[in-house]
Amino acid sequence: MPQQIKYLFGLAIALIIIFFIVRHYLMSPSFGLFGHYRAASLKTVVSQEIKYAGEIACTECHDDIFTLKEKSYHRGVACEVCHSPAYAHTQDPSEHKPPAPRKRAYCPLCHGYNPTRPTGFPQIDPVTHNPGNPCISCHNPHDPTPPVTPQGCEPCHTQIARTKIVSPHAPLPCTQCHIAKEEHKLNPRVALPSKPRNREFCGQCHSQEAESSPEIPRVDMKSHYSGFLCWECHYPHHPEARLKKEE
Amino acid sequence: MEKSFERLAISLKEVAGFIYPNEIELHWSILIVVYPYITGLVAGAFILASLERVFNVKEVEPTYRLSLLTALAFLIVAPLPLVAHLGHPERAFEIFLTPNFRSAMAMFGFVYAWYLLVVLLVELWFEYRKDIVVWSKKEKGLKRIIYLVLTLGASDLSEKSLRFDKKAGKIITIIGVPSAFLLHGYVGFIFGSVKANPWWSSVLMPVVFLFSAIVSGIALMILLYMVITLFRKKPIEMSCIDKLASFLLYAMILDFSLENLDFIHRIYESEESIKILYQLLISKLFISMVVIQILLGTIVPMVLLAWTKLGHLPDELRRLIYFCSAILTLIGIFSIRWNVVIGGQLFSKSLRGLTTYKMELLGIEGLLVALFFLVLPFIILYILVALFPPWKEAEVKLET
Repeated sequence: MPQQIKYLFGLAIALIIIFFIVRHYLMSPSFGLFGHYRAASLKTVVSQEIKYAGEIACTECHDDIFTLKEKSYHRGVACEVCHSPAYAHTQDPSEHKPPAPRKRAYCPLCHGYNPTRPTGFPQIDPVTHNPGNPCISCHNPHDPTPPVTPQGCEPCHTQIARTKIVSPHAPLPCTQCHIAKEEHKLNPRVALPSKPRNREFCGQCHSQEAESSPEIPRVDMKSHYSGFLCWECHYPHHPEARLKKEE
Repeated sequence: MEKSFERLAISLKEVAGFIYPNEIELHWSILIVVYPYITGLVAGAFILASLERVFNVKEVEPTYRLSLLTALAFLIVAPLPLVAHLGHPERAFEIFLTPNFRSAMAMFGFVYAWYLLVVLLVELWFEYRKDIVVWSKKEKGLKRIIYLVLTLGASDLSEKSLRFDKKAGKIITIIGVPSAFLLHGYVGFIFGSVKANPWWSSVLMPVVFLFSAIVSGIALMILLYMVITLFRKKPIEMSCIDKLASFLLYAMILDFSLENLDFIHRIYESEESIKILYQLLISKLFISMVVIQILLGTIVPMVLLAWTKLGHLPDELRRLIYFCSAILTLIGIFSIRWNVVIGGQLFSKSLRGLTTYKMELLGIEGLLVALFFLVLPFIILYILVALFPPWKEAEVKLET
C-alpha cells in the first residue's frame, strides 16, 4: 500500500473517531427517543407558562353560552379567539376577567370584505354597513345570525340613504319609487326591487300638470330634453333640480 | 420594534395589488443570493479544473492549480452567508450530529463536507504533495511547520509514489465532477422543489443552476488568470484564454438554451401563475432580468465571444473582449441568482400582488455583509496562493 494512502486513511479514521467522540458528548442522550428531536425538549415546553385554558375549561362554568355557540355559525371559533388567553381566569375568576371586544373595529378583522376570503363567508363593508353602531347591537357574538331581518333599507343601502337624507328627496320613503317584496330582505339578489322605467314616473310629481305640492320643481315634459330619461341627467337620490330652478 | 414598523411602512408603500401580511417583507435576503452565487463559482471552477485532468485539455493547464485553489477559497466561504442569515452559528454543527436524511437543507451539510473533505482537499493534497514535502525541508519558521503538518507524514518522493499521486489525483477528479454537479445541482434542487412557488418550482432548476455555475466558474477563472498574470508581470498565454473563452461561449449557449427552454415551457403551460409572473418580469425584475441578466449578462458577452471566434482579431482586442465578457458574465450570473431568490419572493401566493425588496445597508442581512462575503474568498485565495503558488515556475522540479 502506498505511503500516502496509509497516512490519509489514518487521518480519515482518526477524524471519524474524533467525530463520534464529539458527537457522543455533544448530543443530548434523549435525542431520537420519540422522533427526530430531543425528547427532553418536551419537558422544556411543558415548563413554559400556560396562557390558554382551552374551550373545555370555559364550558365548565359557561355551559349556557357554549350551548348557544355550538348551534351558531360561530361554533368553530374558540372562546379565547375573542376573549384572549384565559388560563389566569380559570385559576382565579374574580381576580382575572377576560376582556370582551365590544368595539366596531373588532368583527371586521374576520368579516370585513376581502376578495381572498372564501365565497359565502359573511363579509361586509365596514364603511357602509350600519355605520356607527357596534356590531353587537344587532348580532349576538355567540349566535351571530341577526335576530330580526332589517326592517328598513338603510342597513344595507347606507350609502344611498346617507346621500338621500341631504337631498330634496329626503322626505320620500324608498318605497315611493321602488317596490320591494318582503322576500328581498331575505334573498336580496333573488327578489330584486323594482325601479322606475320611464319619464312619466318622475312626471307624476314634476310635470306641469302634476297634482303635487307647488314647491316641487316642474318641467314641461314635452319640451324638456324629450329624448332622454330623467335619471340620465338627474341622480334620483340627490337630484339637483332646485339649482336649475334658481337659475 | 418601532424600527421594524417603520421599515414595514416603507415596504407597504411599494406593495401593488393584494398581498398577504407575511409576504410584505422578504425572508430570504441578499445573503441567500450570495450563497448560490459562491457555490456556483466553486462548482464552475472545479469543473474547469477537471477539464485538464479528465479530458486532457492541455491548453488550460496554467489555470489548473489556480482553479482548485479558487474552488477551495470559495468553498470555505460558501456556507458562511447561510450561517449569517440563520444566526446562531454555534448550532450549525448540529446538522452533522443529528443527521436528518429527509431534509434536503440538512443534507447540504453532508454534500458540502463530502465535497470539501473528500474531493477538494484530497485532490489538492495529491496535487501539491511533492511540492509540500520539498517546501517542508526548504522553508523556515511557521511556513515550515505548516508544510510539515500538511505532508501528514507522507514524505516518500520516489518515482512510484509520485506516479501514484498523479493517478490518485485523476481518480478523485473523476469522482469530483459528479460531486460538483451534486453540490450545485443540490442548490437548484432546493429552489426547484418548492412546489408552492411557481417561479421556482421547475425540474429544470438544478440543471439551469448547474450550467450557470459552470459559466460563472469559467468567467471567474478567465478574470482571475488575466488579473493575476498582469500583477505578476508575466505574458498571458493566449492559447489558454482562447480555450477558456471557447468553453465560456459553449457553456453560455447551453445555459441560455436551457433557460429559454424553461421560459418557453412556462409560457406554453400558462398555469394560473403566468399573469403575475409576467407582471413581475415587466415591472420589478425588468432591469435585473431583461436588461442585466439577459441583455448585458448573456447576449452581449455571447456576441462578443462569438465575434472573437469568427473574426481574426488582434491579441490585445481579444484580451479586452475576454476581460469585459468575463466581468459582464459574472454580473449576469449574479443577477440570475438575484432574480431567482429575490424574484421568487416578490409576488404574493394569492397571485394578485407584488411587493418590493428593500435591502439594508448595515445590518447582518445587509449589503456590506454581502460584499464582505464576496470579498472574503479573494482574501483567502491570496493566502492560499502565497502558501501554495499555483504557477508552473513555482512547481518543484525533482532532480532524478
